[in-house]
Amino acid sequence: MKLDRIKIDKYRLLEIVSPVLGFLASLVVLVIIVVAVGESPVKAFVAIYKFSLSKSAKLATILSMSIPLFFAGIAVAFAFQAGVFNIGVEGQYFFGGLIGALAGIYFHFPPFIHIPVVIIFSMLGGALWALIPAILKVTKNVHEVISTIMFNSIALALLNYLVNDPLSGLGKGKSLEPQTAKIQSTALFGKINGFFRLLGWNVPDYVYLDYSLIVAIIMGIIVWFVLFRMRYGFEIRAVGTSLDVARYAGMKVKRLQIAAFLISGALGGLIGLQEIFAIRGYYTYNIASGLGFDGIAIALIGRNSPLGVVFASILFAFLKQAGYGLQFYTSVPNSVIYVITGLMILFIVVINEITAGYIKALRKKEAL
Amino acid sequence: MNVPLLEMKGITKRFPGVLANDRVSFDLYAGEVHALVGENGAGKTTLMKILYGLYSPDSGEIFINGEGIHIKNPREAIHHGIGMVHQHFMLIPPFTVLENIIIGEESHRAGILKLDEPANKIREIMEDNNLIVELDARIENIPVGLQQRVEILKILYRGAEILVFDEPTAVLTPQEVHELFKTFREMKKRGKGIIFISHKLDEVLEIADRITVIRKGKIIRTLERKEATKPLIAELMVGKPVLLEVKKPEVKVGEVVLEVKDLRIKSPRGYDVVAGVDFNVRSGEVYGIAGVEGNGQSELVEAIAEDVPIKNGDIILMGKSIVRWDVRRRREAGISHIPEDRHRYGLLLPFSIAENLTLGMHYREPFVNRLQVMNRKAIRDFAKGVIEKFDIRTPSEMTPAHALSGGNQQKVIVARELSAEPKLLLASQPTRGVDIGATEFIHNQIMNAKGEGRAVLLVSADLDEIMSLSDRIGVIYKGRIIREFQRSETTKEEIGFYMMGEKEAEKEAGEGASGGGEERADKAADKGGSGDEA
Repeated sequence: MKLDRIKIDKYRLLEIVSPVLGFLASLVVLVIIVVAVGESPVKAFVAIYKFSLSKSAKLATILSMSIPLFFAGIAVAFAFQAGVFNIGVEGQYFFGGLIGALAGIYFHFPPFIHIPVVIIFSMLGGALWALIPAILKVTKNVHEVISTIMFNSIALALLNYLVNDPLSGLGKGKSLEPQTAKIQSTALFGKINGFFRLLGWNVPDYVYLDYSLIVAIIMGIIVWFVLFRMRYGFEIRAVGTSLDVARYAGMKVKRLQIAAFLISGALGGLIGLQEIFAIRGYYTYNIASGLGFDGIAIALIGRNSPLGVVFASILFAFLKQAGYGLQFYTSVPNSVIYVITGLMILFIVVINEITAGYIKALRKKEAL
Repeated sequence: MNVPLLEMKGITKRFPGVLANDRVSFDLYAGEVHALVGENGAGKTTLMKILYGLYSPDSGEIFINGEGIHIKNPREAIHHGIGMVHQHFMLIPPFTVLENIIIGEESHRAGILKLDEPANKIREIMEDNNLIVELDARIENIPVGLQQRVEILKILYRGAEILVFDEPTAVLTPQEVHELFKTFREMKKRGKGIIFISHKLDEVLEIADRITVIRKGKIIRTLERKEATKPLIAELMVGKPVLLEVKKPEVKVGEVVLEVKDLRIKSPRGYDVVAGVDFNVRSGEVYGIAGVEGNGQSELVEAIAEDVPIKNGDIILMGKSIVRWDVRRRREAGISHIPEDRHRYGLLLPFSIAENLTLGMHYREPFVNRLQVMNRKAIRDFAKGVIEKFDIRTPSEMTPAHALSGGNQQKVIVARELSAEPKLLLASQPTRGVDIGATEFIHNQIMNAKGEGRAVLLVSADLDEIMSLSDRIGVIYKGRIIREFQRSETTKEEIGFYMMGEKEAEKEAGEGASGGGEERADKAADKGGSGDEA
C-alpha cells in the first residue's frame, strides 16, 4: 500500500518535470537567438533578471500581471476540460468587462455589495457572450472554434460602437480614447499592497495587487473543487474525455457542454477586473487585447488544471517582463519573447506527450 | 524438406520493463501450417513483427532456406518472401480489387498504368489457390471474407513463400473459415509455409500440422498435431488447467423482460439498417443474436440501450415502452450494457479504475452526498469490493484504466454492469480480443446473471460463444431476424448457413446430401477426430 503511494508520486514528479524541461529547452533557443543578434547571452540574462526577479517590486509586478492571465487561462481550461475549444474568451472578456463596468457606473450600492455585483455582472456578461456559440454548437453542430472567432470580431466592433456613441461618457472629440463614464467609487477595487507589506513583502504603491487577486484565488479554488470534487465536474471531465462514454453512462452531454461553455465565458468575463476596476476606473475598448488568446497557451501549458494554470500564468507574466528587460537593456528585440513563448509551448506540448507515453508504459508494466 | 523454409533462433526482444520475447526459437517448413497460439500479450505479435521487419530483435538470428538474413523493414521482409495478412485489412475501400493488389508494385508505360499483365498474373494465382474474387469490384462493395482474399492475393502477387495470418478467422463466418482453410490446403500443396496465429483452438486443431504455444515471451512447447488436444493446448497457454465448457445453471425461465416489436431504424445512408425486428427475452434466459457483423446488430443494441431515433416499432421493458426514455432512465429501469467497443464506449481510459467502476451510478448515493460532492472514500471502498469480487488484476483501485490489460479492462466493464444488478443485460461482443482466462471468467459471470434470473441479450460474432451460452438464438441478416432456434434444436452449421441469408440457407438445404451435406460430413469427421483424442 505504501509502495503504491510512492509510485504514484513518482509519476506525478515526471508530470511536473516535463514543462520545466520545455522551459529549459526554450532558454537554449533564446541563447542562440541572442548570440545570432550579436549580443552576449550573459548581458541578456542580466537584463531579464533585472527586470523580473531582482527586486521585490519586480516580483510583485509579475504577480500583478499574472492575475488577468490566470483568469484567461482558467477560462480556456474549463472549457477544454469539457472538450470545448472556447477560442472566444477574448470576446467574452471584452463583453463581460463592459457589462461589469456598466453595473459599476449605473448601480448605486455600498461597496460591500457593489463590488460583488460588478464581479457577478462581469461573469454574466462573459457567459452571455458565450451563449449563442454554445447553443449553436449543441443544437446545430456549428463548431465552436469558428463561431467564437466570429464572436470575437463581433464583440470588438460592437464595443467600439457602444463606447463611441451610446455609452460614451465624454463629449464628442473630448478624448482620443473614447470611453464610458467613470465607475462609481463604491465599485472600484482597492489595493491590498498594505497587506503584503505587513507580511514583510515590500510591494511598492505603483504595483497593482488589488481585489482581483482575491477573486482569482477564490475562483481558482472553486473551479478546482467543482472539477475534481463535485459530481458535475466529474461529468464535465468525462464529457471532455469521451463523448461516447459519457453518453453511454447516461450523462446529459449537451447540457454539460453548454454549462461548461457558459462557465468558461463567465470566467473569461473576469479578465478585465483589474484593468477596469483597479487601474482605469472606466471602460474603453482600448483595454489590453490578446489576453483571451494568451489564455489558450496558458491552459495548454498548465494542462487545464487550476494549479497548472497558476504556474503557467506566472510564467507568462515573467516572460512578458523578460521581454521588456531585453528591449530595454539590449539590442535583442522584444518580439523575440513571442518567438520564445511560442517555442516553449511547442516544446512543452511535445515533451508532455513523450513523458505521458512513458508514464503510460510504466503503468502498464506495473499492472501486468 | 530438411532445411526449414524459415528458422528463427534465440530471438530476444526487450521493451522497457517487459521481456516480450525470451530466446524464442520457431521454425516453419515448406508445405506446412504451423500454428502459433498464446494469450494476449504472450509475445506472438512481437515475434511476427520481428519477422516482418517492424521491430529489430535485441539478439537472435533469422534464417530463410538455411541462409542467415537481416530484416530491417517490411519491404525487405517482402523481398525475402515473407507476407503478412493483418487482422485489420490494409485496403483502400474505394479502389478496385485489382488496384488494391498491385498498389505499390504497379508498373506503367508512359505514365499509363499497365493493368492487363498484372490481371492475368493475378487470375492465375486465384485459380491455383482457391481465391476467386472479381477483380473489378470495389473493396467497399465486397464482404469481409472476400476482402481477406484480396489481402492474401496481395502478398502472393508479391511472391510470398512464407505467409503469416494474424487471427484471420476472427471476422469470418464458419463457411468463410471453411473456404479459407481450403485455400490454406491449396497453398500447402504448392509448398508455401503458413504461420497461423489464432486463439480459436478448434480451428487450430483442424488446420495446423504443428502447434507452438507461447506464454509470457517464452516458447512453452511445440506439439505435433497428433499429440495435441484442446484441453492440453489451453492448459499450456494459460499455465493451469482451464475449464472449456461453461456450466449452465438450472433456472426457470420467467416472464418477458424485454420485448422488441417491429423495430426499424434508418441508417444515415438512408436504408433500414434494422428492418423490422421482433423478439423477446425472458428472465433467466440468454437470447443470442448470431450474424455476420454489420447486419444491424450494433444498431439494435444501441437502440435498446440509448435514446437513438427509431423509425418504427416499440421497445418494451417490463411492460413499459422505453423508446422515449433517455439513457439514465433506462439504466435506472434495470438495463446494463457491455458495449461492443470497450475503448470507445466502456471506459474513461485516463480515469481511475474506481471512477470507472462507479460510472453510470456515480451520481447516486453513497458516491455523492446531497450537495453533489463526490464521496471519494465511498467510491474507493466500493471499488475495492468489486475488484476483489470480480478478481480484477490491478495494482490499486486508483490506477488509470488504460494501464490494464484488455482482459482486465473488460472485467472492469462486466463487473460494473453486473454490480448495478440489472434486469436486462445487453452483452455485445463481450469477449472480443480478450484472452482465454478472462473469457472463461466473463462467460461464467454471464451464466451467473442468468442463474440469478436476469435476462441476457448476447450479441457475438463468435458462433462458439453464441452456441455455448444461449438458450435461444436469433439469426440476424440485413436487419431482420430471419430465423429463431432453440439452442437444443440446432447446430453451428445450420446457423452458419442462415447467417448468409435465407436464400443461401434454403439453397444449401435444397442441395441436401450433395455439396452442403458433404461439407458438413467433413466437419463432423474433423470434430469426431478431435473429440476422440480429448
